[in-house]
Amino acid sequence: MMILTARTVIAAVRPPYPYGEELVGQFLFVLKLSWFPMTISTFALCLGAPGLQAAGILSLFGNLDRLGGFFVVTAVRFIGPIVTAAVVAGVAGTAITADLGARKIREELDALQVLGVDPIKNLVVPRFLALMVITGLLDIFAVVFGMSAGIAAELLYHQPLGGFFSTLFANALITDLAASVAMCSMFGAIIAVVCCYKGMTASGGPAGVGRAVNQAVVIAFMGVFAFLYVFTTVLLATNPELQAIR
Amino acid sequence: MIGWLDVPRGWLDAFGEIARFGSRVAGLVYSGRVMRYFGESLRQAGILIFGSALVVWAFVFILGLQCGVIGAYFNRSIGAPSLAGLFSAYCDLREGLPYAFGYILSAKVGTGIVAELGAMRISDEIDALEVMGIQPVTFLAATRLLGAWIAIPFLYLVGVGVAYFASYLAVVDQVGDVSSGGYLLIFWTYQDFVDVLFSLAKGMVMTTVIVLVGCYYGYTASGGPVGVGTATAKSMVVNIIMVHIIGMLGTFMFYGANPRAPIGG
Repeated sequence: MMILTARTVIAAVRPPYPYGEELVGQFLFVLKLSWFPMTISTFALCLGAPGLQAAGILSLFGNLDRLGGFFVVTAVRFIGPIVTAAVVAGVAGTAITADLGARKIREELDALQVLGVDPIKNLVVPRFLALMVITGLLDIFAVVFGMSAGIAAELLYHQPLGGFFSTLFANALITDLAASVAMCSMFGAIIAVVCCYKGMTASGGPAGVGRAVNQAVVIAFMGVFAFLYVFTTVLLATNPELQAIR
Repeated sequence: MIGWLDVPRGWLDAFGEIARFGSRVAGLVYSGRVMRYFGESLRQAGILIFGSALVVWAFVFILGLQCGVIGAYFNRSIGAPSLAGLFSAYCDLREGLPYAFGYILSAKVGTGIVAELGAMRISDEIDALEVMGIQPVTFLAATRLLGAWIAIPFLYLVGVGVAYFASYLAVVDQVGDVSSGGYLLIFWTYQDFVDVLFSLAKGMVMTTVIVLVGCYYGYTASGGPVGVGTATAKSMVVNIIMVHIIGMLGTFMFYGANPRAPIGG
């Protein structure tokens, strides 16, 4: 997989660039697959976990307006990236593995090589770049829907929204959002490499593609979560300004 | 190429079919007809434990670390680092663990079942079972559901322990704002046995749905080797959405009217 990563990056920057059309196609493909699960998942997770649980505790103290500050911590730093990664890996990554695995089983990849077309440059690079870009963008989507879940939680507790928004904007930093988006772009890269690798090395008849998808999504989840933990630790330890609630 | 509305439409289509298939399988388990193949159920439970337990626990361990780190820094930011146990108790047991469990179970077990049953369907083994006079739905789907019900509660409860251990490591040993005793005091104060039962209930409903969705997509796979891959990918879409919806409904049901926190009166 490391070799595939290196070859993908080299193929991405070295001219010629024949993958423009495929890049746009993959971008739209992932977006069309992911937008619906993304909306429902983020809204549900943010309404349940930080929304109701935290609002329950805060309402005991009578300071529900503090929910805005809490949502910056959870929705931007934690839940947005997690849901984005889970949806992109589960929905788009599996589709990519199934697609490439099918081509491998039907020997289309070998045919491409015989025709002198580099499969890495023409198949892997556009998926890699498209997933990197769109995972970062979907993270913003996730944050928006997470915030609307926070608003819904406030409304469920019959609170005015002014307090929510004032603590939300007082605590929201550009560093948080930028880190969240950067982290998600890296998630996209991890997912793309794992899924393309598993798809391109699928073998073993009818069970092969299914098994490749299974392994791809498990490895992608483990890689993404391990990366999430390391990234969060480094981010919080090196940016003390994130550690103050205003 | 797919259209913008294909995913929600396909999901709605599949939902009814899955509900019908699922109620049939659950009926087979409840009516006890699956007991004819009880040995197969035990074998499936064994496969779950030996094949998936380590992956599930590793994933839960990472989630516990993550909960601990976020909680430790959040509580430092509000000036109450000694209360980190509150955040990690809620994050681990009530919310994080069911979701993490649902994710990794749908990835490892759900897609695994689709791949396995789909391959059987493609190579006509399911038809062969029927010819031999064995009910394929009972033998393949119902035994897997019973196997999951036998094995998963134990996996889940051990997972709770693994996540607690990981949070402890992250809060006390890694960030180190709070002493071991102070952390554990708050941590155990903010949970009780009923919370564990609620969390387990969420996890078991997710497990049931994931196994049923996997069995449905595997059982109805068609279109050669490519079809198996597509069915596997589709099952993942449904599972991801269902896990989140079940988690949210569970929170509404168990904690919506009562935060169950030992604060005030």
